[in-house]
Amino acid sequence: MSFFTSRLAAACIAVAAMVSPAVGQDLELSIIAPAGAGGGWDAAARALQDAMVKSGNARSVQVQNVPGAGGTVGLAQFAQSARGSDDQLLVGGITMVGAILTNNSPVDLSSVTPLARLTGDPLVVVVPKASPDQTLADLTAAIKGDVANTIWAGGSAGGADHILAALITQAAGADPSKVNYVAYSGGGEALAAMLGGQVTAGISGYGEWQGQIESGDLRALAISYPEPIEGIAAQPLKAQGVDVELVNWRGVFAGPDIPDETKAALSTAIANTVKSPEWQEILKARGWTDYYAPADEFATFIASENERVGATLRAIGLAK
Amino acid sequence: MQPPARTGFHRPTLIIGVGLFALAAVTWFDARSMTIRANYGMGADAASYFVAAFLGVLGAGHLIAAMRPGIRADDTDWAGVGWVLLALVGLIGSIWMGAGFIIGSTLLFAFTARSFGRRALLADLLIGLALSTLIFLLFNKLLQLALPAGPLERLF
Amino acid sequence: MDALTQLFHGFGAAILPMNLLFAAIGVLLGTAVGVLPGIGPALTVALLLPVTFQLDPGGSLIMFAGIYYGGMYGGSTTAILLNTPGEAASVVTALEGNRMARSGRGGPALATAALGSFVAALIATAGLAFLAPWLVKVAVRFGPWDYFGLMLIAFVTVSATFGSSPLRGLTSLALGLWLGLIGIDQLTGQTRLTFGVPNLFDGIEVTTLAVGLFAIGEALHVVSRHAFAPEKPIPIKGSVWMTRKDWGRSWKPWLRGAAIGFPIGALPAGGAEIPTFLSYTAERKLSRHPEEFGTGAIEGVAGPEAANNASAAGSLVPLLTLGLPTSATAAVMLAGFQQYNIQPGPLLFVQHADLVWALIASLFIANVMLLVLNLPLVGLWVQLLKIPMPWLYAGILVFATMGTIAANPSVVELLLLSGFGVLGFIMRRYDYPVAPVIVGLILGPMADSQLRRALQMSLGDPMVLFRHPGSAIMIVIAALALLAPFLFRGLAALRKEED
Repeated sequence: MSFFTSRLAAACIAVAAMVSPAVGQDLELSIIAPAGAGGGWDAAARALQDAMVKSGNARSVQVQNVPGAGGTVGLAQFAQSARGSDDQLLVGGITMVGAILTNNSPVDLSSVTPLARLTGDPLVVVVPKASPDQTLADLTAAIKGDVANTIWAGGSAGGADHILAALITQAAGADPSKVNYVAYSGGGEALAAMLGGQVTAGISGYGEWQGQIESGDLRALAISYPEPIEGIAAQPLKAQGVDVELVNWRGVFAGPDIPDETKAALSTAIANTVKSPEWQEILKARGWTDYYAPADEFATFIASENERVGATLRAIGLAK
Repeated sequence: MQPPARTGFHRPTLIIGVGLFALAAVTWFDARSMTIRANYGMGADAASYFVAAFLGVLGAGHLIAAMRPGIRADDTDWAGVGWVLLALVGLIGSIWMGAGFIIGSTLLFAFTARSFGRRALLADLLIGLALSTLIFLLFNKLLQLALPAGPLERLF
Repeated sequence: MDALTQLFHGFGAAILPMNLLFAAIGVLLGTAVGVLPGIGPALTVALLLPVTFQLDPGGSLIMFAGIYYGGMYGGSTTAILLNTPGEAASVVTALEGNRMARSGRGGPALATAALGSFVAALIATAGLAFLAPWLVKVAVRFGPWDYFGLMLIAFVTVSATFGSSPLRGLTSLALGLWLGLIGIDQLTGQTRLTFGVPNLFDGIEVTTLAVGLFAIGEALHVVSRHAFAPEKPIPIKGSVWMTRKDWGRSWKPWLRGAAIGFPIGALPAGGAEIPTFLSYTAERKLSRHPEEFGTGAIEGVAGPEAANNASAAGSLVPLLTLGLPTSATAAVMLAGFQQYNIQPGPLLFVQHADLVWALIASLFIANVMLLVLNLPLVGLWVQLLKIPMPWLYAGILVFATMGTIAANPSVVELLLLSGFGVLGFIMRRYDYPVAPVIVGLILGPMADSQLRRALQMSLGDPMVLFRHPGSAIMIVIAALALLAPFLFRGLAALRKEED
């Protein structure tokens, strides 16, 4: 969307907002999903669209896909087109934090306005059914014994799965830069490698492999969440003596330099949406975990994530 | 257009051969500048070197083939080709400047029709406008697909 | 037989008049959107998915099945009539199909595509119903070394699309491989040939390349010749329907296409394009009229179209049993299932047996519906070619660019699309075959990452490719196929060129 039209739209919305001060019902938003159709951020953006409209927190919401480079293409475009705008949102998450660093993206998350953290899914560490590793301790012992032959499968290089594999390797007492991580296009393809017994262990979002874990085809050793989660038998890494936590969070952002009242109006609309039964129902259907945090808390959180992810990526040699 | 190359080199083949060499060189240098190494097995540069070598061999093949008479390209209506390219420029320019999908596609339609020798530019502009407006309404309103919006799209 | 009773159960639900209506609407919508040039099945399903949300789960599932098969079929119509495949899997269909359409045989080409899709989808859906649990066990055993072997076989078969000169064919292929390098390497995160442009980081979109090379390249080529030798396509010559001879030449390719397409589609990383290449090569080798290939051989439409649709149904095997989407279309379908609170995976057949069987029954019904609706439409589609050339090509360009804009509204993407159009024009002008470029772009990155995964797992030992019997056999087949006939034929062709 161009500068001109976004300005025009912003003006229209601003007029509408003046006429009726009630928050929400009059919002006409567009959400940028910085990924193609079918991806995680696309799903999050469309879920937010659905929940905001159905719960009456926005009159209309349009989702626009701007795929590319782990979300950094969408981020760069958004940072430019949504400056000061009160009708444009962006969905993003931990993968974007990593992609900004590995791609040397000129625009980072500090140039947009964090509105709210929405969901946070645990990653799960699994081994194939036939694996000799029965517990997390067995796996960490194997890593320590022979890091090269402990082969991991997971999503793309530098993503959350890769970062977790490196963190666990480090915590197990081996060199994280030697981790033998085989990247697949996503949890699905990695799953086939797990079921085929071609790798030692795998990492993916819990929801993605839930079926195989429940059917017993995969053995879940641990989740990356800080606390146990109801309904998930596998215990956190931390509770099992591996001091690592990593949450695959997704959040929503507004453009740079927005006025305080716009920020307040947008975050209220999001906060009300997150509390709505419509949103809770979507979370349940998609198997997402609620991880809501308001704007200020979210901003601090991003800063600490940025540091942690950066340190890990430098250790694996993916970022400078 | 090409005169039968009875003597000397067959120009198009020669140019393509040189182009392949250039592409191979770019690929080779790109591969050499890669910094991330694979921990185990082959790195990302291996495929680049392979393709660069492949392109180099084909470039050499083209140079050899250029010594023989090659294909004579058919007569070409360059004005027509130019109009189609102008049509594409019209579309991309419209999207770039924020004039939106409808104006861009209208220009694309009218200029492409012009390239086939039609002179009724105004009529074609109107047909293009009707067609792209219809597409926009269909996709934007019925299917919720966000096509790039400009001043015209804002009217709906 | 347990599966059979449950399937009948599913039919019981799907056959209600109201549900039949939903199926018909779904097929109609899917075909209507899928038929637009430049809009492939993935986008079609993504666009139409929300339409189904308005209905109850049963009805929406049935409409969904209709949209899926309708979108798949719609893609081949424009490939045949206008030489503008909307996705990579129809590129091969365009090779022979468009030749047929130009000589007034568009009707039979469309009919054999429709019937082939029907037959293949029928077989493959039956395979899905009865073989899925067994097939998936075999499929996950396929390691990276095996995929690499399969890629090698696929590479060798590409030579069938090379046309008259091996040098020009290989150049096209190399160009595709080169384009395949562009982007972030999946395994290491290293960028290749991106020159710092973030829009290139995700690599070249196959659809953008296919639409650019075919739709725009074709338009440029036609316009460049228009003033000198207007090549007006002939809408109908002879019968619009398939003759007895056409039937005789089509039925075997349909069956072979289905046999090639379904198992490869069921592999977690098989894809829909490879079976179409393999089928085209097989038909060319087995045909009694090999000389017609390149000028419009009906086998070259019947086989790949059947393979394409069989692999589409095959991709439902990993999707339903593992929850693993193997194509963009399947990824969108997965999102669709989740909307109905169905989480595909190993427990799906246990937990939601009724819905799964209703879906499979719906696929059968949608398939029949597709045939019933589309065969009469063949006559209508062919009339498209009667549109005056200026408007026909103007319309093609509008729709082709619209597909790109809809998927990724960026100026860089449109510039790439136009650039590929110019490339397609130059290649046509100097008689370089276009299809191998697309083949290279698809197979190159797959072969690269599978080979490197294999080497990573073996800590760099190349013998891993021969230690596994599956990959060893496939590599030997590929080597034999390459070295024996291709080399001799290639040498002969080179020699012929010398004269």
